[in-house]
Amino acid sequence: MRSLVPSLLFAALFVATVACKTPGVAPPPELSVAAATSLREVMPELVRAYVKAHPDRRVAVTYGASGDLKKQVEAGAPIDAVLFAGAKPVDDLISEGRVDSASRHVIASNELVLVGQPRDGGASPLTFASLTSIPAAEKLAIGDPRTVPAGEYARDYLTSLGEWTALQPRLVFGGNVAAVLVYARRDEAVAAVVYRTELRGVTDLVELDVARGANAPHPKVVAGSVHGASEQSTAFLQFVTSAEGEKVLASFGFGPP
Amino acid sequence: MTADAVFPVVLSLRVATLALALIGPIGVALAFVQARARYRLRRLVDALILLPLVLPPSVLGFFLIVTFGRRGLLGGLLERAFGIRLVFTPAAAVIASAVVALPIVVKTVQPAIESVSADLEAVARTLGLSPSAVVLRVTLPAAWRGVLAGLVLGFARALGEFGATLMFAGNVPGRTNTMPLEIFTAYQTGDDARAGLYVGILTVLSLVIVLAANSASPRMLAR
Repeated sequence: MRSLVPSLLFAALFVATVACKTPGVAPPPELSVAAATSLREVMPELVRAYVKAHPDRRVAVTYGASGDLKKQVEAGAPIDAVLFAGAKPVDDLISEGRVDSASRHVIASNELVLVGQPRDGGASPLTFASLTSIPAAEKLAIGDPRTVPAGEYARDYLTSLGEWTALQPRLVFGGNVAAVLVYARRDEAVAAVVYRTELRGVTDLVELDVARGANAPHPKVVAGSVHGASEQSTAFLQFVTSAEGEKVLASFGFGPP
Repeated sequence: MTADAVFPVVLSLRVATLALALIGPIGVALAFVQARARYRLRRLVDALILLPLVLPPSVLGFFLIVTFGRRGLLGGLLERAFGIRLVFTPAAAVIASAVVALPIVVKTVQPAIESVSADLEAVARTLGLSPSAVVLRVTLPAAWRGVLAGLVLGFARALGEFGATLMFAGNVPGRTNTMPLEIFTAYQTGDDARAGLYVGILTVLSLVIVLAANSASPRMLAR
């Protein structure tokens, strides 16, 4: 029992030290942003530009499928701002009262494309309209429509083309859009449906087709502040929607909102 | 339950059964070698057998992809020679489950074989039994409780495989969505009732399996 006393004293000292560490002028807490996987290349640049303009700010970004991140916000994860690859997950959070509707902004647009390995000669290249010609043993990779907006767009578009049901046995679902891209890069899938911005810097895949026509989806990047988040969250989203933010987004291939 | 809800249950049981059929004989044979043979690299082989137990499933998944993927060391060969593609198939789920089940089978069976007296085997040999007959008619029958426990626990581990399966077999609804994968997707999409269904089934199944293994080999597990 006696041996417990020193360790208890040590623990008390430790707690006291940690408690004292908060200085008089507290730096603003780190802003925690949840961003769609499709933003993983552009976000670091946006954050860099934002911190350059506001040197006392710190931003931590977590990436994932928008549906997964939405689930984390619902579960109470300490997230201040969300930037999702579609309007639906943001609007769901707004209707649940977790994201402030006034903070909702469409910050960029994207395009849905069909990508695959470059193949030489012979058969005509795959297009969205000819996907059902994929041999039975081959796979078409799309995002899981339940959690990945790119997959939801793909499902809706393929449904409008009347191919969704026929394609079922050939589909393989990726947990986020980066995983979908990798399935095609590793040649495990003959083609993949991703955003055009995913092809930036990718040299081993080619764009086979782009979704067009009346039923073509118009993917949007939509942002919002989580209810109760600090003023910093609003400031960051204002920066992203500013001319400077739009310029960064455009340089990574995103279209105007 | 609808057919769509039953599928992951049937698939999981089928995958675990096939994984056990694949790894069971190998595991028992390895346990026998490790228990009886004394050779130079025995310790290294022992460590290699244990590895899938301590490595993260993502590491196993990575190894499986670089080995059996289309661009992998064996995957390309398999496709060119036999037209076999493993990634995104139930066969990939079987292989992933078999790999994680191996250490449990070997490490449960090995002590049971070690506990069989070497004198017993020596006597059998003096009475004219061939070495393979000694194994099949003396050693394994004497160690049957441990062998059974090893196989049953291996089945349970195969049933619960998640990470390597997700990487190697993918999450293809109606093809590779075993119960653990289905729990993950159902949770991610907020379908807690569906996740709970498989959580319940897996918990009860695993409890029954561990109880069965326990009664097969009480001395080894019930300490």
